[in-house]
Amino acid sequence: MLALDIRNLNKTYNHFQLKDVSFQLEKGYIMGFIGTNGAGKTTTIKSIMNMIQVDSGEVHILGKNMAEHEIELKQEIGCAFGDIDFYTRSKIKTLTEAIKKFYTNWDDQTYNKYLKRFKLDENKKIVELSTGMKVKYSLALALSHGAKLLILDEPTSGLDPVSRDDLLDIFQELVMDGEISILFSTHITSDLEKCADFITFIEDGQIIQSSEKEAFLESYRLLSGSQSQLDQVKEQLISYKINSFGFTGLIRSEDFDPASDLKATTPNLEEIMIYFAKREDMHV
Amino acid sequence: MYNLVIKDIKLGIHPTFFVMPFLTGALMLIPGWIYFLVLLYFCWITIPNTFGGFKAQNDLLFTAMMPVTKKDMVKARVSVIVILELLHIVIAMLFGILNLNLYPHFVYHFFAPHMAFWGLCFVMLAIFNLVLFPMYYKTAYKYGGAVSTAIAAAMLFAGIAQWIGVENSAVADAFNGAGAHNTALQISILAAGIAIFIVFTMIAYRMAVKRFLKVEI
Repeated sequence: MLALDIRNLNKTYNHFQLKDVSFQLEKGYIMGFIGTNGAGKTTTIKSIMNMIQVDSGEVHILGKNMAEHEIELKQEIGCAFGDIDFYTRSKIKTLTEAIKKFYTNWDDQTYNKYLKRFKLDENKKIVELSTGMKVKYSLALALSHGAKLLILDEPTSGLDPVSRDDLLDIFQELVMDGEISILFSTHITSDLEKCADFITFIEDGQIIQSSEKEAFLESYRLLSGSQSQLDQVKEQLISYKINSFGFTGLIRSEDFDPASDLKATTPNLEEIMIYFAKREDMHV
Repeated sequence: MYNLVIKDIKLGIHPTFFVMPFLTGALMLIPGWIYFLVLLYFCWITIPNTFGGFKAQNDLLFTAMMPVTKKDMVKARVSVIVILELLHIVIAMLFGILNLNLYPHFVYHFFAPHMAFWGLCFVMLAIFNLVLFPMYYKTAYKYGGAVSTAIAAAMLFAGIAQWIGVENSAVADAFNGAGAHNTALQISILAAGIAIFIVFTMIAYRMAVKRFLKVEI
């Protein structure tokens, strides 16, 4: 069953456009949603949450159309935009009291369990929490109302390496029994290398690729060679950089001839992102 | 909807603004004042402060993430403001009765706080709402223009009404003179004011919803 099914989302702004965004997330998996700043990650997430009006396209969550079952589905979604930046001078306790009333499946026991687990003090104000603690508080809220789909926009940005690792462990633990699915956007690609099952890569409002992580990485090759060799492959490269030893460039695996004498390695997510972003620059 | 109203009351609006009706209501004890001012304090102080609070607390994003419809978000907010308006007007009315009993022989130059006057106050708030909500819900966070225009409209109405009340003898008579003791006249003016308040606020709510549906959060 698909936890999230996005079909052909289009949205045009004055200076930016979401073009035919489609991707699917299987239930029980973690999908990393990567892209540079301004690539369209938050816009996509806001379209999923029905916060902006798309020009065309459909969002299905847990098999139901979001536009038709918004209220019902929002009960099943845990959503967090970065850290919490609302009602920051209120105590956790006060905020939770207000929030829990909205959810029919709210479970106090689960909530208290996660408060303890995340070492959150209910009497603290939001503003007194560290970034990591704020993300954990968002998670505690989402999990206490029994969210089946967690949509997290940049949950790990601004966290120290230890907290990030801790959070990623929690994510993996959550999806373990196959009930919960997570879509999280980030530009910290190393997080995804640790825990994502699927990768969806968006660049300039378009989905470049959405697939299983290993397949995603395997579909590209990072080439390096001398300046003279560059001319052989220049046309096929997504983009390249020239350095004193020659060049390095990214190529789609299907465009690469393994018989050539160029040195080819499997790129990491960061390299793929960088070379795609460079492609945009080269075309400008 | 109910949850949203509770959320605004418990989280969004500072408790001071629920004490304000008593403070501004007590201004009704000033003898011979222009009593429209009492309710205008609500428009001048409570409205910009609460709307500023919502903006500063990022209430829009917070609410949008809850399982609620955009229509209910508007309905709840309008209801909360109407609750505050009713609190102000009802408490001011009570102080008005006290005023009439404290100064039984006072000669009122401006409108005396009889029932008909409160009808005019309902009309003033009706106009205030009609301007405020549709303008505010173009963005659902920018409140400066909406509040200033709504205040201007309400004050203009109050100014003109009071001017007529002083200048026109028939109106002066209906509100302060012999008409003050004509219960049927008093009740009908009050009822008409309440009816206008309800109709204008409903229209404001509908226009606000229509605009808010187009707002991108």
